[in-house]
Amino acid sequence: MIQSTRPAQYGFAERWLPRLVLAPSFLLSLVFIYGFVAWNGYLSFTSSSLLPNYHWVGLHQYERLFANERWWVAVENLFKFGILFIGVSMLVGILLAILLDQKIRQEGALRTIYLYPMALSFIVTGTAWKWMLNPGLGLEKMMHDWGWTSFQFDWLVNPDMSIYTVVIAGIWQSSGFVMALFLAGLRGIDDSIIKAAQIDGATLPRIYWKIILPAMRPVFFSTLMILAHIAIKSFDLVVALTGGGPGFSSDLPATYMYAMAFTRGEMGLGSASAMMMLLTVSAVIVPYLYSELRRGR
Amino acid sequence: MQSNKLSRFIVYAVLIYFAVYYLLPLYVMLTTSVKTMDEIRGGNLLSFPMHITFAAWSKAWGSACTGVECTGLAPFFWNSVRMVIPAVAISTTLGAINGYILSKWKFPGSELVFALLMYGLYIPFQVLLLPMATTEGWLGIASSTTGLVFVHVVCGIASTTLFFRNFYVGIPDELINAARLDGAGFWRIFWRIVLPMSIPILMVTLIWQFTQIWNDFLFGLVFSAGGSQPITVGLNNLANTSTTVKEYNVDMAAAIIAALPTIFVYVAAGKYFVRGLAAGAVKG
Amino acid sequence: MGALAIKNVTKSFGDTHILKGIDIEIDDGQFLILVGPSGCGKSTLMNIIAGLESPTSGEVHIGDRIVNDVAPKDRDIAMVFQSYALYPTMNVRQNIAFGLETRGVPKKEQEEVINRVAKMLQMDHLLDRKPGQLSGGQRQRVAMGRALARDPILFLFDEPLSNLDAKLRVEMRTEIKQLHHRLKTTIVYVTHDQIEAMTLGDRIAVMKDGVIQQFGSPQDIYERPSNMFVASFIGSPSMNFIECHLAEQNGQIGVSLTSESDARFVPLKDGAKFAKRVGQEVVMGVRPEQLDVAHGDEMALGCKVMLTEPTGPDTMIFTRINGKDVTARVHPRDAKGPGEVMRLALDMGKVVFFDPKTQLRID
Repeated sequence: MIQSTRPAQYGFAERWLPRLVLAPSFLLSLVFIYGFVAWNGYLSFTSSSLLPNYHWVGLHQYERLFANERWWVAVENLFKFGILFIGVSMLVGILLAILLDQKIRQEGALRTIYLYPMALSFIVTGTAWKWMLNPGLGLEKMMHDWGWTSFQFDWLVNPDMSIYTVVIAGIWQSSGFVMALFLAGLRGIDDSIIKAAQIDGATLPRIYWKIILPAMRPVFFSTLMILAHIAIKSFDLVVALTGGGPGFSSDLPATYMYAMAFTRGEMGLGSASAMMMLLTVSAVIVPYLYSELRRGR
Repeated sequence: MQSNKLSRFIVYAVLIYFAVYYLLPLYVMLTTSVKTMDEIRGGNLLSFPMHITFAAWSKAWGSACTGVECTGLAPFFWNSVRMVIPAVAISTTLGAINGYILSKWKFPGSELVFALLMYGLYIPFQVLLLPMATTEGWLGIASSTTGLVFVHVVCGIASTTLFFRNFYVGIPDELINAARLDGAGFWRIFWRIVLPMSIPILMVTLIWQFTQIWNDFLFGLVFSAGGSQPITVGLNNLANTSTTVKEYNVDMAAAIIAALPTIFVYVAAGKYFVRGLAAGAVKG
Repeated sequence: MGALAIKNVTKSFGDTHILKGIDIEIDDGQFLILVGPSGCGKSTLMNIIAGLESPTSGEVHIGDRIVNDVAPKDRDIAMVFQSYALYPTMNVRQNIAFGLETRGVPKKEQEEVINRVAKMLQMDHLLDRKPGQLSGGQRQRVAMGRALARDPILFLFDEPLSNLDAKLRVEMRTEIKQLHHRLKTTIVYVTHDQIEAMTLGDRIAVMKDGVIQQFGSPQDIYERPSNMFVASFIGSPSMNFIECHLAEQNGQIGVSLTSESDARFVPLKDGAKFAKRVGQEVVMGVRPEQLDVAHGDEMALGCKVMLTEPTGPDTMIFTRINGKDVTARVHPRDAKGPGEVMRLALDMGKVVFFDPKTQLRID
């Protein structure tokens, strides 16, 4: 059909019932999501501290935010964490998906093993990795027991390295999910394309590199979106693993926002940092959503 | 075919290597949780427990300290149960009906509603925290299970709607038209035709929402207090309570207790999830 | 007033005009075919009759009422869909009963209807199966059964046979025709297949670009196509179009035909009709069977055979006349091989002429 044809609707029930039934969800979203975004936006221009007030101070909170060292540590950490977390999770996930797609025995069992970390709360993951990376009793002690006495692993308490422990645990939790998405995508590819390429004499790695992976572009993008989204709102993992420490060396914007808004009594600063997070996400998501909705029509 | 055999070997080796990588933390958690603290200090991460004891488990469940109180995780666990059941049920129901309307009963403006919901899916929840906390205070549902359920429903509608809508787009319109000619209306078509076809996506949504809400920490931390805190908050408090001696066996037992429901759901119904997710999420 | 009347119906989406003023009227018990290439608007028209889409302007009458504002369920119609649209979670019995149930037909009566329909379509043994367990033909049968259960004043069939394989399609075609003979209800049937259109219809509406090109009986449309589109769309192999020059020779009006090995002036049957057009170019429409082997001496043109295509009962001969590829349908025993020359005669009583500019038939 040339255009999406909307069905003809008759009478009160057909015409108004759908709108009526959709209305509560629409209103909930409108008020409690969009309304609150606006409200939070407004708070970020006020001098709110321990309690919200509506004394307009213009861009003052943003100026304070941009002059705040801790905020820039959080932003820098987000970049380190985001790039490594997304990059490595993607690589591991794609690799596992391709390998699992080679008619593997026990595929179901392996898939469950790769995927189960995703069922866990980041708090559980954080608690577990915190124990394993514990400098006194964890990995380090194990290596010492095994005879590698000079082995040192103190990233959890080393301000320069603490953010990378978050990366390690994050990858462990999420790469299986990437695998699942890509495996599903691979399964959706028409077998005859692969057969045709094989008849043309292409080797398997070449087929993957030249034909299959390019065909997975949409999966790649939606996975990228999901991972970026997880990265930007990462909060639980940091809290459970490092608590943002040592000091504030492993802070992320999400933990920074929480600290300002709920423990330090700096609501204005907290709401301003939340707005910065929203703007960052929007810069990535809006073009993506726009193209998706265009295509979906 | 020598090289073929070799490459098969490499494929399996890599797969197994990663399986070990994913399983090791689970192994460590399990073994640590049944060791005594003496054994933990004496052995190392991978050493097998000599004397299996469930003392740490009963302490984690019933008497470990999560701050000033020492009630173990049990009350937090039941808080989570009380929160997760209504939150999953309500958000899934709304998602199913919204998806049905947005795919089969489009009206002028319904695409806009859909776009609005979609964007809501990606909004970082941090921007909602302060206004939501204030509003819940006004409504008198702050720090209560009701308040938590409400937040989870509001923030869950977007993803449940998307799941169902993407699934229902695949149901041919002719089926709906046939039912209309058969005299069925909006609700009857939903109950008798559409809903019975929705089992796969229903499984996905239930699993997704269950894990999301059970595992949530942020909302639990901000919107609950003492008597209504969910298990993730309990676990975090337990693991980060600075008592004199750090009891890693209790921490691990607590972590496993917090993870058991979602792991159980995955193992029992994971294959529906992967299958359905492929159909829904990848298509975007 | 007949069973169905469509009056000046249009449908547009913005600047896209799907239907541009459709007028159709049929009597009780007639079998109306809407036929045309894809995108011609026939399915939209069908949906408008069913009430699944609403027209931009114009009126739809079913029985003696205007149904523009009547919901599909209240139009007293039943529809068979292209994809069958069987409810996948219900078994055949429940599929048939669903429409009765929503209308509050008592359980006992429902049973009777199901049994009647099942017997009529010989599908008693399928009643407890789910659609997923049925073959394509069986699904088609159930879809028809569901429509029959309701006993409406108008049946709508939307390309019901297009998902079946060739053999089954022919069988079901016959079955639908028999059903129509027995039930004598009015049927509107959409198809893109001209053979289905010819074999089933009492009245055929040939559509293209949202306009009805011709509306008439199958025979009428076949023999007297109103324009070159209808002429080429109906009939297989297609009608031959031979461009020629109308001339007068020895007091007779006719056309000059040239093949690769022969040339001849062929007079028209009632040339007087064309007197005004002498000296103009025309397109002569010749059905393949109107170009047959000459047995006597009459007006035959020697044509060199380029290719033959035996179909069994007939053999198609491909040759060239006036520089155009032309197909002739001859008896197999008369056919000659490629390279040989055959003497072909035109059935000048049946050929039709078109204006090359307007593409309309010249009367």
